[in-house]
Amino acid sequence: MTWASGVCAGFAAAGITHVAYVPDNPLSHVLKVLQTHPKIRTTVATREEEAFGIAAGLYLGGIRSAVMLQSSGLGNSLNALTSLIVPYQIPMLILISMRGDAGEWNSAQVPMGRAVVPILDAMGISHATVQSAETTAATVELVARTAFETRMSGACLLPRRLTAPRVAENANA
Amino acid sequence: MTRLDATRLLVNVVGQASNTPVVASLGHPAYDLFAAGDRAANFYTWGSMGLASSIGLGLAMARPDLRVVILDGDGSLLMNLGSLATIGWTRPENLVLIVWDNEAYATTGGQQTATAHGADLEAAGRALGIRQSATARTEAEFQLLAARAMTEPGPWLIVAKVDESAPAGKPPLDCVLIKHRFMTAIGTQS
Repeated sequence: MTWASGVCAGFAAAGITHVAYVPDNPLSHVLKVLQTHPKIRTTVATREEEAFGIAAGLYLGGIRSAVMLQSSGLGNSLNALTSLIVPYQIPMLILISMRGDAGEWNSAQVPMGRAVVPILDAMGISHATVQSAETTAATVELVARTAFETRMSGACLLPRRLTAPRVAENANA
Repeated sequence: MTRLDATRLLVNVVGQASNTPVVASLGHPAYDLFAAGDRAANFYTWGSMGLASSIGLGLAMARPDLRVVILDGDGSLLMNLGSLATIGWTRPENLVLIVWDNEAYATTGGQQTATAHGADLEAAGRALGIRQSATARTEAEFQLLAARAMTEPGPWLIVAKVDESAPAGKPPLDCVLIKHRFMTAIGTQS
């Protein structure tokens, strides 16, 4: 199973039926798989913060959802996370496609990429990094299930070594 | 028309005892909703400025069996104008977005917003795909539009030009309590 198929399998296993997202290149592979999934709807947001608002409304209406974003978009989401998602205890899976980690070619991505984990820690949002394509489904499912059971959103990080392992190839991304 | 009077009209249209969800933007829209008619099906935000319409959109997609009413402000909507494009794309028929447009950031001391200088939120809604976009300038116009929006297919954007009025109350400060009582009122299993 590819890592992208693993993400979708993890979603489905955790009962996620809606994904709000802002796309990036690696996430396009997940979106291709989701297009063929009969039970998972998707909504594109114009900005990552908006995706968190949509996901919060979905939860209030009884739907388990995931927000997919690139790490650069976490910065656009901080007020939504700290003044809505965390204090109201609204659970969702936060799936972050990493930039600025090992394998990066664009220096403008590096500062935010390095800040992702400290920022999540500062907000009290637990996180796990997917280690391989083989373990993607299990990791995504575990983080999502924990979020919904505890009503505390959790983040799953997709490192570049998983999603775009060759630097030379990435220069075209 | 003051915002508080218009909010009282809205609560009357929605029904004090109904389970119609009403999502209120932080600050004065939420304070007035609480004062005009606190209900378990009111979702008061205490932060996340700009996101009331997005929360309402998610809720409207999750619960097509309910009308979902959103009370936003002009300053808040201007912070998340992209939300109109997403609503215009997804077009949930049960979404009713009401914007209290007092042309100011009233909660923070009355600084002007762009709507005081020509920005037209009704036109923005229509341009971004929300065909049922309208502006109300009097209580009679607002009453009529709100009543139509509760029955005719949307999504609706109603820009209500309002005068500022002193907020007359404050919702409970316990965010989890607000959420839990809201979800129970609209019948969501948490």
